[in-house]
Amino acid sequence: MPAGRRGPAAQSARRPPPLLPLLLLCVLGAPRAGSGAHTAVISPQDPTLLIGSSLQATCSVHGDPPGATAEGLYWTLNGRRLPPELSRVLNTSTLALALANLNGSRQQSGDNLVCHARDGSILAGSCLYVGLPPEKPFNISCWSKNMKDLTCRWTPGAHGETFLHTNYSLKYKLRWYGQDNTCEEYHTVGPHSCHIPKDLALFTPYEIWVEATNRLGSARSDVLTLDILDVVSTSPFPHRVGGLEDQLSVRWVSPPALKDFLFQAKYQIRYRVEDSVDWKVVDDVSNQTSCRLAGLKPGTVYFVQVRCNPFGIYGSKKAGIWSEWSHPTAASTPRSERPGPGGGACEPRGGEPSSGPVRRELKQFLGWLKKHAYCSNLSFRLYDQWRAWMQKSHKTRNQDEGILPSGRRGTARGPAR
Amino acid sequence: MTQREGSLEAPQADSSVSLLPHLEAKIRQTHSLAHLLTKYAEQLLQEYVQLQGDPFGLPGFSPPRLPVAGLSAPAPSHAGLPVHERLRLDAAALAALPPLLDVVRRRQAELNPRAPRLLRRLEDAARQARALGAAVEAVLAALGAVNRGPRAEPPAAAAAAAAAAASGVFPAKVLGLRVCGLYREWLSRTEGDLGQLLPGGPA
Repeated sequence: MPAGRRGPAAQSARRPPPLLPLLLLCVLGAPRAGSGAHTAVISPQDPTLLIGSSLQATCSVHGDPPGATAEGLYWTLNGRRLPPELSRVLNTSTLALALANLNGSRQQSGDNLVCHARDGSILAGSCLYVGLPPEKPFNISCWSKNMKDLTCRWTPGAHGETFLHTNYSLKYKLRWYGQDNTCEEYHTVGPHSCHIPKDLALFTPYEIWVEATNRLGSARSDVLTLDILDVVSTSPFPHRVGGLEDQLSVRWVSPPALKDFLFQAKYQIRYRVEDSVDWKVVDDVSNQTSCRLAGLKPGTVYFVQVRCNPFGIYGSKKAGIWSEWSHPTAASTPRSERPGPGGGACEPRGGEPSSGPVRRELKQFLGWLKKHAYCSNLSFRLYDQWRAWMQKSHKTRNQDEGILPSGRRGTARGPAR
Repeated sequence: MTQREGSLEAPQADSSVSLLPHLEAKIRQTHSLAHLLTKYAEQLLQEYVQLQGDPFGLPGFSPPRLPVAGLSAPAPSHAGLPVHERLRLDAAALAALPPLLDVVRRRQAELNPRAPRLLRRLEDAARQARALGAAVEAVLAALGAVNRGPRAEPPAAAAAAAAAAASGVFPAKVLGLRVCGLYREWLSRTEGDLGQLLPGGPA
């Protein structure tokens, strides 16, 4: 069994192993019949030590015939023979070993320290556990997807590597009453995470913390206090994108997991040109489920993502938590002879014309009028007719050609998976 | 008739001639299973030694081959025994292995808690040993060879193994290596013994 786990330990003073199992091993361990077999015992057995500490160990030989000698014995550590100068014969049957400034254990099952007979046969072994006590976990963050569960993530202490198996346990309790509970579903969203699936109360604060424990000690994070209602997020949700020359129309539905709850919602949209890494964010999309991105480059493939912040659930005053970005949807703006400036903002659907983009459209409209109309008087009725014609001819063009001038296929995919 | 273990008809039925194809199919199926499990046992052994650390995986590593209570390696004289007797010994060994593999798995869960694949392999090995043992016994029954030999007592064997495992980490690692090695040896032995029953093998 692993050595004691409370507090730092230099050479851990372990109790000698139980007598019965040793007898069982000795009775069972008559490896070579009729040849005077020897066995040995290493002390200490399975010690736990701090990195940089020292170890004094002994290998005591027993054998038949009696009078087994320590002459010729040697040590290996993880399969490598230790220099003879580290060993010395204590008495006729005991070989001692002195190791200094120990490094962290190479494997979590322990470093293998083995005592060998002259002929190389293994007489006994002991496993060393050399490492560090855990540091305080920190940066706990929690969120709920549906106001019934809670997922938390944390960072495992300043240095992370302890060279020993370190167990992390997420604990939680109601702030003013109740017992400590332990989360049971670990590694749900990464190595240091845990998911509490049910039986959580609303409108009352929870205290949440993480305990880290290994053979050399334990550490506890600071306590995070939260109300489930204040940390509601949502899973990414699908959206659709359609194209119109220098514009993209984005539509989505509000998060289905929260459909039964009353909340306000803020949305953000971000988009980028296909071969760019720079996202542009449209921030002020509040409580709508659609947006038109205007002023884009025609004939260009864009990636678009949407995310939601459901705030104000049951009157919560907290700022809310943004969901993850939805899966990106690719869409292309139709081709045009006049490239746009590449900038964009979210325009209301079917709304009043704003500055630059509409002016460009109107210029194109006037040019069209000169060809197709005898009346140069402008009217929005004629303008609407022209827009309808443009949309229709854009669809027909895409069906006929299907390939943009750059050679890429323009796609406006359906809802992301 | 489906080829399910334990559902073979008694050989004394007057349709014994018509049973032969079924028996052969059963033997062939069991032989294939043994062959597959032997491969898995190799993988288990490789993963096991890797996770215990050197010198366990090094060539020439030769820990004491301590006997495991209730189970020994196939004897050198095994190959000279009649095939029915060999299969009886195979079945007995396969019945003794699961509790020992369970002990090893429990110990490895403490020593290597972040090695889920090793733990899963050990759990699967116990289950597969039971399945193959049952299949071998079904073949023996179909051959009319009742298992008369002494059987290992799994609870005692497991208790002994557990006690030995509790005595220290290094001996526990060695014991696990021994059990995984025995598992591979007996699977390989079973595969060979079943192969001799197939057409084309020695009578």
